[in-house]
Amino acid sequence: MDDNKTKTDEEIVELVRKGNKELYAHIIHRYQTRLVRYAQNLVGDSDRASDAVQESFVKAYINLNGFDIRKKFSSWIYRIVHNEVINIVDKYGKNLRLDPDIDFDGGINIEDSYIKEELVLHAHECLKQMKLIYREALSLYYLEDKSYDEISDILRLPMGTVATRINRAKAIMREICQTKI
Amino acid sequence: MSNKNIENLENRIMAKVISGEVKMKPKLYFLVGSTLSFVGLIGLLIGAVFFTNLTFFLLRKQGPGTWRLVQMLESFPLWIPLLALLLVILGIWMLKKYDFSYKRNILVLALTLIIAVILSAQIIDALGLNESWSKRGPMRRFYLNCHKPNSVKSVACLN
Repeated sequence: MDDNKTKTDEEIVELVRKGNKELYAHIIHRYQTRLVRYAQNLVGDSDRASDAVQESFVKAYINLNGFDIRKKFSSWIYRIVHNEVINIVDKYGKNLRLDPDIDFDGGINIEDSYIKEELVLHAHECLKQMKLIYREALSLYYLEDKSYDEISDILRLPMGTVATRINRAKAIMREICQTKI
Repeated sequence: MSNKNIENLENRIMAKVISGEVKMKPKLYFLVGSTLSFVGLIGLLIGAVFFTNLTFFLLRKQGPGTWRLVQMLESFPLWIPLLALLLVILGIWMLKKYDFSYKRNILVLALTLIIAVILSAQIIDALGLNESWSKRGPMRRFYLNCHKPNSVKSVACLN
């Protein structure tokens, strides 16, 4: 069991595909907290976020043989969650309300400390005023510590568009947060 | 979200996995899917090249300069260039579904595809392949039906 902890996601996925179903628990264990947090940042509702992540893990398992082992599993599973969240947003739209009790702390190192600080302290107020396209880019970059390349893979956008969205999101963030303080 | 809820999430999913309530789709499913999608894309592109080439061939045969525009519009089988256009659009749509496509600018991708289709059609035309297809082989009848300069109903090549 301990040996599996040192294995990469892709190695574990390969073993699960070969029939070691139990090892899928390692994958869930590694990602569930981060994915629920990411989904919450987007839908703002912890129950729906949890449902989206559960559904995503089930879909990921069903389609595990379709995953290209040469790519990053992390980007793949985030992509599935992203799609689930988009479905929820499309379905419930304006009825979605951001939960004021959500913990937005990603617990990661971030270069742009100002944005990080504002995001953690005033995330609820700031994020809820942002469009989803900026919210997801900002969440992935600052709270999930994803690189531009990974965000490009998750959102299926060219790198240039990712960079533009993050820069715009930063500007919106400063504007919104500064008026709140 | 509390630790208990997180633990429940893991347990709920693993219960479905272990019990067999959710099953992995076999590798063959994805292999067949990607093969069909590739074959479909190639088929669309071949169709687009063929009908673009046929458009050039008919334009050359009927000659837009030798006919008056109204006459040409009446007799030209417009469904051929329209079908070519439709196939190109479907080709671009399918290409967008591919994993690599979001890394590229879709406008550049679409323009590359359109230029490739037109160039291929021109090359086939320049090689005189449709000249020989229209004279012999299984395509002869189709070409003869399409190319009826005096007929208003040149859509006959549909039949």
